[in-house]
Amino acid sequence: MTTTERDVSPVSEERPSQRVPGGRDIWVFVLFESAIFTSYFCVYLFNRTQHEQVFLLGQSHLLLWLGVLETIVLLTSSWAVARCVQHARAGRYDASTRDAFLTAGLGVLFLVLKVAEWVRLIHAGHTFTSSEFFQYFFFLTVIHCIHLLIGFVVLGVLWYQLSDQERRSQQTVETCATYWHSVDFFWVVIFALLYVVR
Amino acid sequence: MEDGSNRRLFVVWLILVAISLVYLWIDHSATHQGIPTASTVVTVVAICFALIKVRIIMREFMEVRGAPPVLRRLTDYWVLLMAVALFGAYFAGRAVA
Repeated sequence: MTTTERDVSPVSEERPSQRVPGGRDIWVFVLFESAIFTSYFCVYLFNRTQHEQVFLLGQSHLLLWLGVLETIVLLTSSWAVARCVQHARAGRYDASTRDAFLTAGLGVLFLVLKVAEWVRLIHAGHTFTSSEFFQYFFFLTVIHCIHLLIGFVVLGVLWYQLSDQERRSQQTVETCATYWHSVDFFWVVIFALLYVVR
Repeated sequence: MEDGSNRRLFVVWLILVAISLVYLWIDHSATHQGIPTASTVVTVVAICFALIKVRIIMREFMEVRGAPPVLRRLTDYWVLLMAVALFGAYFAGRAVA
């Protein structure tokens, strides 16, 4: 995107209804990624029905409350980045930057909780090779966390955009937020499939 | 306008958190003496709740609600497609198990 294409000034608070939030490219990416994740989920669900007792036994070693807590942390980070977009749109860049940092902080908290959960499970003898359930558990949670780590780079771009008046682009802010929300909704489905389905 | 938008985001966040907490009750209903028990109803409800949350995140947090109709329809069909794929895989697996 060239500098002249950027929207460097605060735009009106109500986004025009005929504009795709973040631009088309990020939506192509998000839908493509969600198609890939959905294919993983389908393989998981199909295999689960073939070895039901193995999956139920594996699931009994998870802490549901921890999964719920992780979900709430990530949902709160999504809320923060949605506020970040609205503040930027209204030209309140200090508040927007604060919300971007809050988003990153909650992302870090999610990562800490996830690593603690992995360590607890591995110490209890549940590893990638210990059962089919844990193969899926570690595969899906690790690949999600890789997306989360990419999300931190995206939040870095967001902060870079917000930190200088000359660089500010509302579309880039929305693009970064759209990516972060996609990391959130991937987790929402992963959580339901790994911790709750029976 | 600002307060209205922020309040709406807060209410959306509350709804998403509430749905997440309902999972605790769903799990309790499908656990017998600490051991999870198989349940098609729980599986269907858990997936439906997850996809409802995905749609809410897309509509409200990702601002699809105010986007062009083509994106609104595309995301709705996408969530529907995810539902068909997930339930298709689950019930096909049940049929051949």
